[in-house]
Amino acid sequence: MNDDLRQRLGNLGGLGVALLVWTIYAVYFSPTQGWVFFFQLSVNGIILGSVYALIALGYSMVYGILKLLNFAHGDVYMIGAFIGFGVLTLLGGPLNPAIPVALLVLCMFVVAMLGSGFLGLAIERFAYRPLRDAPRIAPLISALGVAFFLENSALLLFGAQFRNYDGFDLISYNGIHLGGDNGVFIQYLGVIVIVGAFLLMLALLALVHWTRLGKAMRAVSFDREAAAMMGIDPDRVIAATFFIGSALAGAAGVMFGLLFSQIYHLMGFLAGLKGFTAAVVGGIGSIPGAMLGGLLVGLIESWARGYLNGNVSDLVVFGILIGVMLVRPSGLLGTPALKKV
Amino acid sequence: MSENTPGIPESSTQIGVDQWVERSDENIERRRGLAGRIGHLWELIPPAGKLAFLTPAILVPFLPFVSEGNLFNYGLFILIYALLALGLNVVVGFAGLLDLGYVAFFGFGAYAYAFLSGTHSNKGHTYSHHWDAQWSILVAVVLCAVLGLFLGSSSRRLLGDYLAIVTLFFGQAFVVFTNAADPYGITNGSNGLANVDPLTFFGFKIDTTRGYYWFMLGCVVVVLIVLYCISESRTGRAWKASREDPLAAEMMGMPVNRLKIMAFSLGAAIAGLAGSVFAAAQTGAFPQNFSTQVLILIYAVVILGGTGSLTGMIVGAIVIIASNQVLDSTSPPNVARVLFYLALIAAVYFTMRGSWVRLVAAFAGTVVFGLVVHAIVDAVWSRGTAGQVTSGGFLTGLIRNWVLLPTNPGRLAVYGYLLMIVCIIALVQLKGWWRLVVLVPTLYLTAFVWENLLVQQPAVTRYVLFGALLIAVMTIRPQGLFGTAKVEIG
Amino acid sequence: MRKYLVAAVLAAAVAVLASAAFGSTKSPARQSSAGSALVKCGTTRTIGVAAPITGPAAFIGQQQLRWVKYYVKRWNAQKANAKKKIKIVQGDTQLGVDTAFAVKVAKSFASNSKLLGVVGPAGSQEVVASTSSYKGGGLAFVSGSASRTTLTDGHTDGNRRGFFFRVVPNDSIQAPTVANYISGKLKAKRVYIIDDQETYSQGLATGVETRLKAKGVNVTRDSISQTDSDFSSKIAKIPSNTQIIYIPWQLVPQAQAFGQQLKAAGKGHIKLFGSDGLFAPGAWKITGSYDSFFPIASGDPIVKAYAKAHKGDGEFFGAPSFVAAQVVINAVTKACANGTATRAEVRKLVAKTKLKTSILGLPVAFSASGDLKGGGFGIYQIQSNGSFKRIA
Repeated sequence: MNDDLRQRLGNLGGLGVALLVWTIYAVYFSPTQGWVFFFQLSVNGIILGSVYALIALGYSMVYGILKLLNFAHGDVYMIGAFIGFGVLTLLGGPLNPAIPVALLVLCMFVVAMLGSGFLGLAIERFAYRPLRDAPRIAPLISALGVAFFLENSALLLFGAQFRNYDGFDLISYNGIHLGGDNGVFIQYLGVIVIVGAFLLMLALLALVHWTRLGKAMRAVSFDREAAAMMGIDPDRVIAATFFIGSALAGAAGVMFGLLFSQIYHLMGFLAGLKGFTAAVVGGIGSIPGAMLGGLLVGLIESWARGYLNGNVSDLVVFGILIGVMLVRPSGLLGTPALKKV
Repeated sequence: MSENTPGIPESSTQIGVDQWVERSDENIERRRGLAGRIGHLWELIPPAGKLAFLTPAILVPFLPFVSEGNLFNYGLFILIYALLALGLNVVVGFAGLLDLGYVAFFGFGAYAYAFLSGTHSNKGHTYSHHWDAQWSILVAVVLCAVLGLFLGSSSRRLLGDYLAIVTLFFGQAFVVFTNAADPYGITNGSNGLANVDPLTFFGFKIDTTRGYYWFMLGCVVVVLIVLYCISESRTGRAWKASREDPLAAEMMGMPVNRLKIMAFSLGAAIAGLAGSVFAAAQTGAFPQNFSTQVLILIYAVVILGGTGSLTGMIVGAIVIIASNQVLDSTSPPNVARVLFYLALIAAVYFTMRGSWVRLVAAFAGTVVFGLVVHAIVDAVWSRGTAGQVTSGGFLTGLIRNWVLLPTNPGRLAVYGYLLMIVCIIALVQLKGWWRLVVLVPTLYLTAFVWENLLVQQPAVTRYVLFGALLIAVMTIRPQGLFGTAKVEIG
Repeated sequence: MRKYLVAAVLAAAVAVLASAAFGSTKSPARQSSAGSALVKCGTTRTIGVAAPITGPAAFIGQQQLRWVKYYVKRWNAQKANAKKKIKIVQGDTQLGVDTAFAVKVAKSFASNSKLLGVVGPAGSQEVVASTSSYKGGGLAFVSGSASRTTLTDGHTDGNRRGFFFRVVPNDSIQAPTVANYISGKLKAKRVYIIDDQETYSQGLATGVETRLKAKGVNVTRDSISQTDSDFSSKIAKIPSNTQIIYIPWQLVPQAQAFGQQLKAAGKGHIKLFGSDGLFAPGAWKITGSYDSFFPIASGDPIVKAYAKAHKGDGEFFGAPSFVAAQVVINAVTKACANGTATRAEVRKLVAKTKLKTSILGLPVAFSASGDLKGGGFGIYQIQSNGSFKRIA
């Protein structure tokens, strides 16, 4: 067992212990006690976490291959949500859809994913490619500019009014009751989101480990020059990475819209930050890390909102990030980076 | 290895040749000519001198549009942002650290001043300190410096990107913290602190915009002088060294960690000063005054001006904040309109600068194209041109006959906007005559989108433009207007 | 180096002295006579309208603006007013985004020398923040929706008597009406109250909470912020046997999302109770929810004409702004009777307003604190077709 693996297992072990302690405290010793409340919050957290995981995957992939923090990723997510809303409205709206609901939802996802993917391609081509060899600060500032540009373009084009997906009207208010009427309630929509996110993540893992493109992506992220010498075109691989990452963000946007209904032009900022937190906590550059990080951030946010008051939950999430970064800068499942002198 | 492998830049170095020696003859020749001499002299002038030349030149285009009352108001904002940019320049330009939570120091300074020099009551507690400004500003600046120290100390273990993340979260945490409903009512949640005293120094009160303007001018001059001295001193040189290569600097015996913390602290103190005066001028401090938009504005100023250059900060502040104020929702739209068309003309000039023929063809072609399209649409679909020009003033007649103004722009404007973005993307790819061919309809489309969508929401348009500006500056000229081009080795 | 430092200190001293010199000569003149500058009225007089025209509360701001424009249109169309026309200047306060915009609008109105009076702002927190700017400019500002009680008590949120007036009853009337209805008519025994951390919301929530507790009702209090979209954890905390959730919020889309998430969590049987900020037929459509709202005489011919001109939508939330415009414009016209007017004159005339009837269904006169004399709140319920029907 080499050092890397040992450290990762150690991190996971520490995480497991912390979660166990927390669970026991929450269920038996906290002011709002009870298994039911805890499980309800946990279920909500996993649903939210799946959305964050999809966003985190985009961040992780792009960082792994370009060592770039793509601040505009959250806004791609926001545009995906709006594209989904556009499709929904075009096809009749949540109350009288023109085509069967399942087909409508599928359509929303596909169009939003394609749209976000192409947006990601355009961003990469114009804001990041010319800066491939510039000092590290330059693409970061360019990313800030893209984020700002997208947010305000959305404001300009769609207005400041919050739009409502009314997702529950579209799909169903029903769900699975666990433990009777006073037990835990999981909406069907929540189940769809968890399953959908899981399938997308599986597809991504399959892509990365079993296809040539995936191998090329891994190669370019390891050493770009060597990969180029081996005949891989880094430009095309990087473009593909951006496309996939942005498409996942677009899917996450549609999921958020369906679950929480409200979409507006600034929703990408906070969600992007949290997805980003998730990527870093899980280990930036690592795909399983992004998934784990996303679930964790969703759970922590849900618990913080349930057990603590009001806005403190955001602070708690950020505080945990900073804590993890100070203790384990490379995250839970990341590789501790060695700086070559 | 001179073949173009994709993704690897073409190398211009040759083995066995010293580039500097090769070019020294060229450089001496260049400096002999008139332009060369002037350029050389220009480089020798300290920032203050450069500013004395540049400031009037830049202000002139804006003057006809600004009324007397507004002049000091605009000037005040320009000075506040210039001060902020100077502070951020210390962190980003001198020390090379990306600080994305800078606006939190600005907010902290404002809140500290508002708390100490005002009165507010919330949740049953009433806080009514009415300290004189000299004490409250002093306390605010010192507290900010301490806060900067604290944030800076987190930079010990974190490099580059990670530092950016932590500072970003710090900035967010500040907004969340001030927005949160705290039990002692210190920050008054999202309503901010409203009844703030104007600046009072030993009995002298400053409560007119003019007064604040002169005071800020004094502050900016003092800070400029101090920063110039520091940048020429040992500390400044140490910062530049640690920015270029921290490892080498450490080997040379410079205490890199301590330098980083000092940079953060100084930048924070300057932001605290700016925040205090801002709170006094606005007679209040609200959480959303310190949002990401303000951060992006400050960054736009720093990047446009050129990181590391003091002159650049002032010039950048003038350009960006003047445009910001001019494109505000309370300003008459005609001002923005004139500036927009001037900017379009400037953009065309820069794109087609190579050949006079193409330049003239571009302008003439756009005008003719517009008139033709207008005439056709007028004949075919009358509602396409029956709309109103928004606050046209003296330009109404011209615009109405040139630009398509549908009665209900709505969806059309949105599609036009998206199409315009696509066209601009295409423009960047094309060259030569093809570029001219696509440029003409694109210009007309831009005017169409402007008249039907953007002019009605100038406040949002300006942010779109600033975002695009950041991208453009970074991709075309990363050193901004006055910075020095950096070379990344390896 | 030392030379530079000395130069710097000297420069700073000069700047401070210069600013003091420039500053203090102006201030005594300004402070003692806020609003006493004589304005030549001419044939077109200017008033300002401060409302959230864009932003998350644009729904209510645009209604208010349209009602004001309706009044001005009718006024300008009368032959008798040919030489007394009114022009409005809009100010976008972007309620729900940032109170600083309200301050900016107030400052720009105050510095507009032709402006004689203001209709607005809409939100109670905006009134608090912009008071010092309006007072500094000597302007009267009449709000058609700011209902927080402490705005007019002269000390809690500052003193704006003589400057601030409102044409809607305040929350010290809304809270008891709501509490009485909940405990008396609906006979609820378990109530959950959630505020949105804004001044307006907290005031109402506390008012209702104390009164319900005094009647022996079991009350739990919680809060959300105006930027929240995910209410699932808050909803999980609400026990299933709660009967009413009182949500005195300002942002309608939030209430709509909350209602849907509540239903999706299997707690759709719990009824929501909103306040005047949520009176939004067509946007808040949770059937069966209750809402308290100011008085509007829906049978009034003017209200009916407005509804006809606006595709059948009466836009009741903006209707009090019609009355506010009426008050301000009447005062401005009276002050301008002799050709010139001052803002102080306009303020005094606004305070002495006496309208025998109005579309509020009651006469309009202000008490010494600036509150509307008389008036109560009505309780409405959302029907299955989305309309709000008055039930009490």
